[in-house]
Amino acid sequence: MEVMMLLVYDQPGVMQRVMGEFNRKRINVETIVVGKCEMPERARIVLSILDREKAISVIEHLRALHEVIECDLVDQSRHEAYALLFHKEGVCRVTGTVEEVDLIVNKSGADRYIQAMNAI
Amino acid sequence: MLERQNVEVMFGIPGGVLLPFYDELVQSDIRHILPRHEQCAGHMADGYARVSKKTGVCVVTSGPGATNLVTGVATAFMDSSPMVAITGQVATQVLGNDAFQEADSFSLMMPVTKHNFRVTDPKVFPETMKKAFLIATTGRYGPVHVDIPTDIFQAEITDEQMEKEVRVPKPKKNLSGLLDAIKLLERAERPTIMVGGGVTWSRAGAEIMMLSEMLMAPVVTTLMAKGSVPENHPLVLGVCGMHGRQVANYALNNCDVLLAIGTRFSDRVTGKLSEFGTKTKVVHVDIDSSEIGKNVKGRVGLVGDAWTVIHALIAGLQKRKKAATWRDRIVQLNKDCTCDYDLKSPPLKPQKVIYELSKNLPDDAILTTEVGQNQMWAAHFYKCYGKRMFITSGGLGTMGFGFPAALGAKVARPESVVVDVAGDGSLQMVSQEFATAVENDLPVVVALLNNGWLGMVKQWQKLFYGSRYKATQFTAGSPDFVKLAEAYGAEAIRVEKPSEVAEAIVRATKADVPVLLDFVVDPEEDVLPMTPPGKTSADCIKGRCQWKDGVC
Repeated sequence: MEVMMLLVYDQPGVMQRVMGEFNRKRINVETIVVGKCEMPERARIVLSILDREKAISVIEHLRALHEVIECDLVDQSRHEAYALLFHKEGVCRVTGTVEEVDLIVNKSGADRYIQAMNAI
Repeated sequence: MLERQNVEVMFGIPGGVLLPFYDELVQSDIRHILPRHEQCAGHMADGYARVSKKTGVCVVTSGPGATNLVTGVATAFMDSSPMVAITGQVATQVLGNDAFQEADSFSLMMPVTKHNFRVTDPKVFPETMKKAFLIATTGRYGPVHVDIPTDIFQAEITDEQMEKEVRVPKPKKNLSGLLDAIKLLERAERPTIMVGGGVTWSRAGAEIMMLSEMLMAPVVTTLMAKGSVPENHPLVLGVCGMHGRQVANYALNNCDVLLAIGTRFSDRVTGKLSEFGTKTKVVHVDIDSSEIGKNVKGRVGLVGDAWTVIHALIAGLQKRKKAATWRDRIVQLNKDCTCDYDLKSPPLKPQKVIYELSKNLPDDAILTTEVGQNQMWAAHFYKCYGKRMFITSGGLGTMGFGFPAALGAKVARPESVVVDVAGDGSLQMVSQEFATAVENDLPVVVALLNNGWLGMVKQWQKLFYGSRYKATQFTAGSPDFVKLAEAYGAEAIRVEKPSEVAEAIVRATKADVPVLLDFVVDPEEDVLPMTPPGKTSADCIKGRCQWKDGVC
């Protein structure tokens, strides 16, 4: 199972365009989660596909879409949790197992944070 | 807004929702051409773009206007032609309510455009239009569609909104494989260059020839690249693929390093994909990173436009001496492959017509084709050199493309002779455009190869389906094309004898009205040689072809 994460503009028609690429390449999407994200007017799509080769074949096509800002496969090491830490110095992204991310969030003393457990 | 994008000409058909747009156009200097069918508006804009290398603009109304235009836009998409297609839409208040002449053209156009917009907020209207033009010509060219509800045309727009700057992402470049590519090409004993439509668009023909002479490598072209390199050069082998020249396919299959530039390895070129280039190392250059490794996998890939990459390669390879054995052999084979197709005996053969076109057209003539046998005869036998251009629907294979594209080409380059090589099947799909040609004073020549059949499909039924013909012959006969053209106010000449061909062509090119040349050709003639679909060149059906499989 491959997990793909896309950062897209949050506007009507985006899902149709993104899913259109999967449709054209006859790739079945196993699961899909979409939602607004930490950035204004952006949304994140997280989805999973069974076949790695197919997943790779569609990435460049997705990146070519004007509404897709980022598109990547999430590393095979299974990131289970995800957090964004807001410091005075800037924003920091953390991924890893639930325990690792928990530990870092607690230790970091961030001003604010967003944390997603078992997100992927 | 269109004037600000330096639009000089547009092809459009008005409709209810476009009335405010056309009312603005009354005071504009933009030349407007009214085709007789929306599909042809698309093809005309496409033809215009391919000749002028500027973005073609077409405008059609909502609903049926938009659905009719889909074919035109899809054709441009498959051949990477820059276009901005504007469709009117019902007013935003009723959008989504199945209003009169409403179709979801935003969704319809999505898979056949590079990008498309639906404008629902007048504030972003000007920047959307700017973006559309930018996207169409940034990176790999392509059509961009903008769907505009009728009330958006009427909304007030401030100067500030008008002046807003827009940016689109720059095309990616990845030349990290450049050194590997240079090493491969240096060591190559039998290098071959294959050029595709990308080279036509970036007009890198001269640089290709420089590289070819440096590497002593022959150049084969795809259908889309025909005309980008001079076909009277001894190292240019012509079009490869299913109906390609045998020497071109020979070079493609027997080279050790293939430098493929601006081509996407279409199935019509590769034949059986699993057998293609198994013994060959491939360097693949394309502006679109998603093309690298799409069809032919595991090769050195360079992402960038043809012109830049070729210059980088030339700089990297400077003045390395190569052995001339491969080059000499190919030049000899190229001579052997040049057959005599000046077929003088009756009945009139289509090859004879193409022969005379090739011989008698000026050096800056533009040839467009429809799709089918006429297209392949033209691709195989017509010689494109100098400023000659060859315009065809290679990707989508749209019958009825050639005639409207010829009209668009004539608009872009009125000083050149423009000839559409047509079949009787294709021409009947767009024959109404004679009205547009006459009305707008566009004296193009339609060279109709009239055999009374849907020839290419018939050929496949003959070769692969045991001559079981179905729905390929026009059993009631075609209309009298001479009378048809004359009814529209065009001139027409019927030609039945081989000896009359040349004179008719010369007469037609000098006319100041559109001319139809109705060549009544032998219906039994097939387009050969032909590599059957999904097969390799070893299975080639040769027919009249004298090729001796690369034996000198």
